[in-house]
Amino acid sequence: MSYQHAQDNWFAAIVIGFIALAVLVNIIRARMGAQLYIRRIPGLDAIDEAIGRSTELGRPVTMIPGMTAFGVVAVQALTIFKYITKQIARFATPMRLLSGDPTVFAVAQEAIYDAYNEAGRPDLYDADNIRFLSDRQFAFASGVAGLIQRERVAASFMFGEFFAESLIFAETGNMVGAIQIAGTVSFTQVPFFVAACDYTIIGEEFYATSAYLSREPVLLGSLVGQDIAKLLFALTTLGGVVAATIAGTDAPIIKLLGQPGGWDAFWSSVLKGGGQ
Amino acid sequence: MHMLTNLMAQQTIWQLPEGSRVLLATLIVLGAFVLILGLVPVLQTLPPRGRRAIIVTVTFLAGLFFAAEFFLPVDWTAIFPKDDPKRNFLTPAIQPAQNVLQIIGALALGLGTFGLVRLHLRNAVQRRAQWGYSIVLLVSFVVMATLSILNTLAEKEIVERGPVLKRAFSILFDYTLVQLDAAMFSLIAFYIFSAAYRAFRIRSIEASILMFTAMLVMIGVVPLGAFISYTLLGLPEGASPEGANFLTQLEHSIGLPKIADWVLTQLNAPAQRAIEFGVGIGGLAMAIRLWLSLERGVT
Repeated sequence: MSYQHAQDNWFAAIVIGFIALAVLVNIIRARMGAQLYIRRIPGLDAIDEAIGRSTELGRPVTMIPGMTAFGVVAVQALTIFKYITKQIARFATPMRLLSGDPTVFAVAQEAIYDAYNEAGRPDLYDADNIRFLSDRQFAFASGVAGLIQRERVAASFMFGEFFAESLIFAETGNMVGAIQIAGTVSFTQVPFFVAACDYTIIGEEFYATSAYLSREPVLLGSLVGQDIAKLLFALTTLGGVVAATIAGTDAPIIKLLGQPGGWDAFWSSVLKGGGQ
Repeated sequence: MHMLTNLMAQQTIWQLPEGSRVLLATLIVLGAFVLILGLVPVLQTLPPRGRRAIIVTVTFLAGLFFAAEFFLPVDWTAIFPKDDPKRNFLTPAIQPAQNVLQIIGALALGLGTFGLVRLHLRNAVQRRAQWGYSIVLLVSFVVMATLSILNTLAEKEIVERGPVLKRAFSILFDYTLVQLDAAMFSLIAFYIFSAAYRAFRIRSIEASILMFTAMLVMIGVVPLGAFISYTLLGLPEGASPEGANFLTQLEHSIGLPKIADWVLTQLNAPAQRAIEFGVGIGGLAMAIRLWLSLERGVT
């Protein structure tokens, strides 16, 4: 089996290095006390409102990380669920966390236990509320839909990676009148969530969520670093458009930016040009 | 010793003779269990700070391995002519590292299944609300697991695949589970319809633009769009000729299939790519925080 390496495209490797540097430098800045601004995200402001409604109705809150395999997306989803659980613990609102991945389920048990402990209510923790239903897509979907229907949940939080099952969750929640907040990195599922949920957190906002909720300097600094990296991408795109318009799409600079192995082509053409 | 010599000479466990292979595989599995069962209590007895130090170190080293493997040059043929130019010295360790992740996943699957069975056993024994569903789940779980294990053993020719086993497995898997999956999947069509109805209700300028664009795209990508544009309205198909005037070019561009294509490739695709860029950068930043143990959410 062959794997990708930095040598395949040094330009991409340098970009990765730059993004990492931008993130780390801004984390250090934030830790040193720099005041960093984060814009308002309405979907995240609505989390407390949804929890309040569940508490008033005495009906459970569901948290669904989907079929997300354990990785950065799952960690981010569980970080958000941990925050929600801390809020829930203050009002003793019932909750259910439903996972379709066994590794995420195992980590979720620990994360939720920690959340209740940190909120000072370890007595409210019940291991049965964190459930692994199935790792089979539609078996999991029917399990979640059934639970939402039977328990008439009042709020549903869907954060993670979702596939075709996303609309089954969102429409079932809609049918029982739950407030629904979804956040996903799966852009193909975004239209379904936008259509069926009250609030949708799209793309990179998903990764901004923990910074927004906790206001921790490390996370805020990381977010600013991400913004700088996005600016780099925007400038690269703009530069590419201008360069392609002036020099044509076969120019070495365009190959450098847009093709695997373009780095070698670029330098060989520069060296040839220098030798002439 | 003879077995180890054999193993070293033949490179993989699967090339060993039958008896040695089973014995060695059993020893490896038992050794791994003993290691895990021993490691957990040792970690539990450590103070939180010590435990965290171990986790931080292991996380950093694991991350460093993957980063080094990616960034280290792969082509060393200038120095070592016989070297493979598509891999560095860390590359062969990638597959075993991924196998370890799979083993952890398999252990977690056992944990998840145990939790599920425990919950439903409690529901059934204590006759909690809707305990009948729990009975259905437990019976289905036991029957399906038994038949699946027997079927796998039959595939490996360890047990005989009799007509009863063949038929029972077929009824449960092909005629029940697969059909239930298909039924759930087909529900999505109805859900799309109800969600789309709510999304396309004209309540604001944005919703109106959304509905109008969606109608154009939906009609444009099906044969009806081509029929309306090229047969009913008589618009010209294909690209406009070179040097054509503005009106001719416009005529060639306003067919519904072309408008749908333009919306999908010139408006939709760039927006999706922008989201993907953001997601990629966010994921990378998160991975860096996890690698350096700066993320305190669930770690």
